[in-house]
Amino acid sequence: MTALHRLIRDPRLFWGGLFALTLALSLFAGDLAKDIGAKWVMKFPKPLELPLDKLISAAMKWLLEEAAIGPLSFHAVTRFISALIEAPYLAVRGLLVDGLQRGQGSYAVQILPPLSWIAVTTIFCLLAWRSGRRGLVGLVGACFLYLAVFGRWESAMATLASVLISVPMGVAGGVALGILAFRHPWAERAMRPVLDLMQTVPVFAYLVPILFMFGFGPTAALVATVIYAMPPMVRLTTLALREVPEEVAEAGRMAGCTRRQLLWKCLIPTAMPMLMVGVNQVIMLSLNMVIIASMIGAGGLGYDVLTALRKLDIGGGVEAGVAIVVMAIALDRLSQAEARRVPGTGRGGRLVWIGLAVILATSALGYVLPFVQTYPAGATLTTGTIWAQAIEWININLYDHIEAVKVAILIGLLLPVKGFFLGIPWAWGIVAMGLIGWRMAGWRLGLMALLMTGFIALTGFWPEAMITVYLCGVSVFVAMLIGVPLGIWAGQSDRANTVLSALIDTLQTLPSFVYLIPVVMLFRVGDFSAMIAVVAYSIVPAIRYAAHGIREIDPQMVEAGIVSGCTRRQILWRIKLPLALPSLIVGMNQTVMLALSMLVITALVGTRDLGQQVYMALTKANTGQGIVAGLCVAFIAIMVDRILTAAARGMERGEAGHG
Amino acid sequence: MTFLTKAPACLLAMLLATTAHAEVESTDPIKLTLHDWTGQLITTTIMGDVLKKAGYNVEYVQADYLAQFAGMRTGDLDVAMELWATTAKEALDEAVATGDVVNMGETGMKAIEEWWYPSYMEESCPGLPNWEALKDCAEAFSTPETAPKGRYLGGPVTWGGYDEERVEALGLDFEVVHAGTDAALFAELEAAYQRKDPIILWIYSPHWAPAKYEGKFVEFPAYSKECYEDPAVGLNPDMAYDCGKPSGPIYKAAWKGVDAKWPGAAKAIRAFTLTNEDMGAMVGAVDLDGKTVEDVAADWVAKNEAIWSAWIK
Amino acid sequence: MDRPVMLDCRGVWKLYGPNAETFLARHGAPTAETLRAAHLVGAVRAADVTIRKGEIFVIMGLSGSGKSTLVRCLSRLIEPSGGEVRFEGRDLLQMGEAELIDLRRKRMGMVFQHFALLPHLTVLQNAAFPLEVQGIDRKTREDRARAVIELVGLQGREGHYPRQLSGGQQQRVGIARSLIVEPDLWFLDEPFSALDPLIRREMQDELLRLQARLQKTIVFITHDFDEAIRLADRIAVMKDGAIVQTATPEELVLNPADAYVAEFTQHVARAKVVRLATIMAPLGAGPFAGDLPGQARVGDVADAVERADLPHRVLDEAGQPVGQVARQAVVDVLIGREVPR
Repeated sequence: MTALHRLIRDPRLFWGGLFALTLALSLFAGDLAKDIGAKWVMKFPKPLELPLDKLISAAMKWLLEEAAIGPLSFHAVTRFISALIEAPYLAVRGLLVDGLQRGQGSYAVQILPPLSWIAVTTIFCLLAWRSGRRGLVGLVGACFLYLAVFGRWESAMATLASVLISVPMGVAGGVALGILAFRHPWAERAMRPVLDLMQTVPVFAYLVPILFMFGFGPTAALVATVIYAMPPMVRLTTLALREVPEEVAEAGRMAGCTRRQLLWKCLIPTAMPMLMVGVNQVIMLSLNMVIIASMIGAGGLGYDVLTALRKLDIGGGVEAGVAIVVMAIALDRLSQAEARRVPGTGRGGRLVWIGLAVILATSALGYVLPFVQTYPAGATLTTGTIWAQAIEWININLYDHIEAVKVAILIGLLLPVKGFFLGIPWAWGIVAMGLIGWRMAGWRLGLMALLMTGFIALTGFWPEAMITVYLCGVSVFVAMLIGVPLGIWAGQSDRANTVLSALIDTLQTLPSFVYLIPVVMLFRVGDFSAMIAVVAYSIVPAIRYAAHGIREIDPQMVEAGIVSGCTRRQILWRIKLPLALPSLIVGMNQTVMLALSMLVITALVGTRDLGQQVYMALTKANTGQGIVAGLCVAFIAIMVDRILTAAARGMERGEAGHG
Repeated sequence: MTFLTKAPACLLAMLLATTAHAEVESTDPIKLTLHDWTGQLITTTIMGDVLKKAGYNVEYVQADYLAQFAGMRTGDLDVAMELWATTAKEALDEAVATGDVVNMGETGMKAIEEWWYPSYMEESCPGLPNWEALKDCAEAFSTPETAPKGRYLGGPVTWGGYDEERVEALGLDFEVVHAGTDAALFAELEAAYQRKDPIILWIYSPHWAPAKYEGKFVEFPAYSKECYEDPAVGLNPDMAYDCGKPSGPIYKAAWKGVDAKWPGAAKAIRAFTLTNEDMGAMVGAVDLDGKTVEDVAADWVAKNEAIWSAWIK
Repeated sequence: MDRPVMLDCRGVWKLYGPNAETFLARHGAPTAETLRAAHLVGAVRAADVTIRKGEIFVIMGLSGSGKSTLVRCLSRLIEPSGGEVRFEGRDLLQMGEAELIDLRRKRMGMVFQHFALLPHLTVLQNAAFPLEVQGIDRKTREDRARAVIELVGLQGREGHYPRQLSGGQQQRVGIARSLIVEPDLWFLDEPFSALDPLIRREMQDELLRLQARLQKTIVFITHDFDEAIRLADRIAVMKDGAIVQTATPEELVLNPADAYVAEFTQHVARAKVVRLATIMAPLGAGPFAGDLPGQARVGDVADAVERADLPHRVLDEAGQPVGQVARQAVVDVLIGREVPR
């Protein structure tokens, strides 16, 4: 009994023992089971699998075909919502892309043209000008000129139209739910798991039901985008309201504010900087969805990327991808500037008149000089085949070296890890996760981990889940290996920080498809290509949080190190890194989340993980399978999140204890 | 076009539109689905152009290849122009069985799907395209990850294809690696072709790839339904799938309401046919020569009035 | 001290922890031990405070003593767990939401330690905020805001935003905001604690100047005993949620209730606290060097008394001579000899 007690208490014994046992089981259990003919050890017995996917599909069918709220069928309700969303979307789209039209389909006749490219660019420049920053005007202007000059105008405006609808919807919904959670603890308790799922269930998983409910076309894409982009806004709203100093709320109450006045006149304005962080997140995530949205009929830049790559037109893909990045940067910087604008100092009314004048003038001129209305196709630039040639050159000249590195990593790292995870018998996997959860944060988390892992086994997705864990684990490992040093560098040098934040912005918004294809050309279809794509995307938080952790260190700590005679190296290893550790763990947590969300995309280069299951469900319109596999991904994400959060908390407590 | 010429043109267009409307059964737009491969876009655009010539109102909607059946069952979507027997037969049959979707017949094009290799591989693997050559030179197709087995790049898992079964049944020393999308499939082909590296992979036609790259389909024992279903049939007495992949027609399908709502259009859709050669050339014009789908389709419509005018008669 | 009572609070409790209200209802007056056993924290324990019209009542305590919680119970920013708070005889704790809002809009003002200004509003708008939420039209409220801004000496900065001001200036805005509704009861929660010492002193003078003019009833919270002594008519000293002693500064210095209060008072210069009326001797026959008010503090009049060879006559508030004070008594106070009472 005491031995067992020691085993549990001593961290080295516990973790070492757990790992050794798992490794041994992974190596030998399979063969052993085969010898004694117990196939169930490695493979969850089919008859015991839960037919959850079929139940969900049936429920969905019922919901769509029979369910009714009073006289209204559920289907009618969703279609009504769909029409509500579509109306403003079509209006904005008309303004930016189609112009004012009469009639439908090919009968449609354009009565008025859309805003000219000059007018749109001017309007956005005026918005930038309003913030009083000259540099921003140049940046925004350059971004929009890029869209015109590289011949992406029409697609970009289609994308802009959907962003202009989905972002306000996401922000408004997020703020409303955030306020609800702020005011009512029960609402927060109810919302937390839902938000967890919204953030971790892969979009592909709920695309099918959304298609069924909201019909094909842009509305479904908008709904999916809002679902995907809203959760951070909800969380940040609740957090921002909670972080408003108690005194400000008290000042409001003492001034005699009603509840409503208190919220809208005191709390929300005071929380505005943090709310704007949420807006920024919504914009970025909405633009992240552009590709997936285009798969279900949103068109726009995402569609350009997809079709270009289908033709292996790498240059076209890069140009369209960069157009998304450029748009993200313009919208992001504008929203940030708007948030930081000293209220009341802007230049107001006159700008509206200038804008209106430009719109009218360019529209009228457009009838005489078509290039004012539409950027002339003849004047567009293209990088043409430069990209394809560059890849071809690398492919022909450097392939052998690339191949050698790849094979080394594959054999040294990926394959052994894959073998390890695939070898774990499902029953032990459940127990081990339960133990880990229990050890990190008590029986509650242990039970949760036990149930969630059990769910995965029960659905029969065990091997896929293990491949997911393996690919995600390896990718996170590599991302941390590269990202943390970069982050530390950025945390210590302002110049590095400028360079890296541009890289981060690009990595975050450049659709992974753009680099997936060259990656496949250089590394072939397989786990290695998938890993590179996942690392490229999920490295962002690894860098960002490491830099943040280093920068947040109290300078006195470093000074204390200097006066104690530490070398630069010692300061880094003995002072900065230990202090930044909780931040690094949070970064790792975020890296895992992004890696998991990216696994669905890597299904497109042919991994055999849960992401592939979700993708297959999408193409077969199998609601149940998609949602069940999506839930498996979500459960993995939630377990990792809880365990790492517990680790970070434990560490901070530990630090406090020592300090 | 200046304002002076544009304005009358607009008016004229409006006038023409109103006169044309009178002839058709319903002025509601017929919704044709667009997918993400060029051939389908061309097929659909040609159909759309022809329907427009007949005075119908046409709208294109992007939809997923398989998810579109759900839309066609409710009437959200009206017509799908390319449903390959090789990839969508099951889904099509299932949708037709509900009674809400109607099979509008074949497009005249044949879908071919099979193992394909570039011509330069014939040197290292003499005997191709006969499949039995693969038995002896699997290693010529190997990569470090699969050696000594050969590496066969299969299509996305969603395409099915039974390649693992085929490899086992025919005793081929190959490992099947699945590409996730066809973009990845052709990216690998492009890269390997540039390096003249060994590769053997799943290719389908009509597609631009067989036109762009020199190579051949492997000749497996001919497909039969029995070969897939009955282990006893075929070379390997104990296993099914010991033969090549099926090739088959490409179908059209429509929402059941199309017949009643736009009978003339339904007739035209049923009558629509194209040949593999025409399609291959048009796909090449778009994907290799960089023309737009609209131009290529319009070109076909302009040159083949005799053909399509019969559809809408 | 027979001015009318403005705010009267009896046996106010504020407990934090599981089932605090029911626990208090069951136990009546729990001791520190029973609280600890029930995992409750007694932020305010059985506090009795009576605040009279026109006085500056200081609540003094170290951080964590419960003084901020108590003042929030008095203004009902926090719901007390038990006890009674009466504002001009009306039970504050029974008031409905609307009544309470009305009371705060018309009768109460509060100044906060960290200023609690709204970052998106200008100085003028911040000062006018309490009128804005009452729905008073822009012109009226901005005129009144200009008046209070001038009162606190910030004229010329009406268009500035809080972040453009120094801490002292920000707190002047906070004061202006709390005064715009012309409150009768004015809460100041450690208003000068976040300021530099020199500014703090200046602001204390400013407060005394304002009070001389406005004659508000003030509840002032501080952790600084010197500040308390400087400003207070009466002081309540708090420790661990309970009020240890309520008295005038002078009584506190001369008769600390326990060792804890004595801790604070022992280093206070007596001359700043002790009044002539306390050290005066029975009125003699004279002659006298002059007349001095009994309310005057020893330190303020020490020069005059010491310079004169003759004793001074001490007058009460009505101007009647009630005693005399001579050089020796003043010197005793100044050098800190035990003061006889």
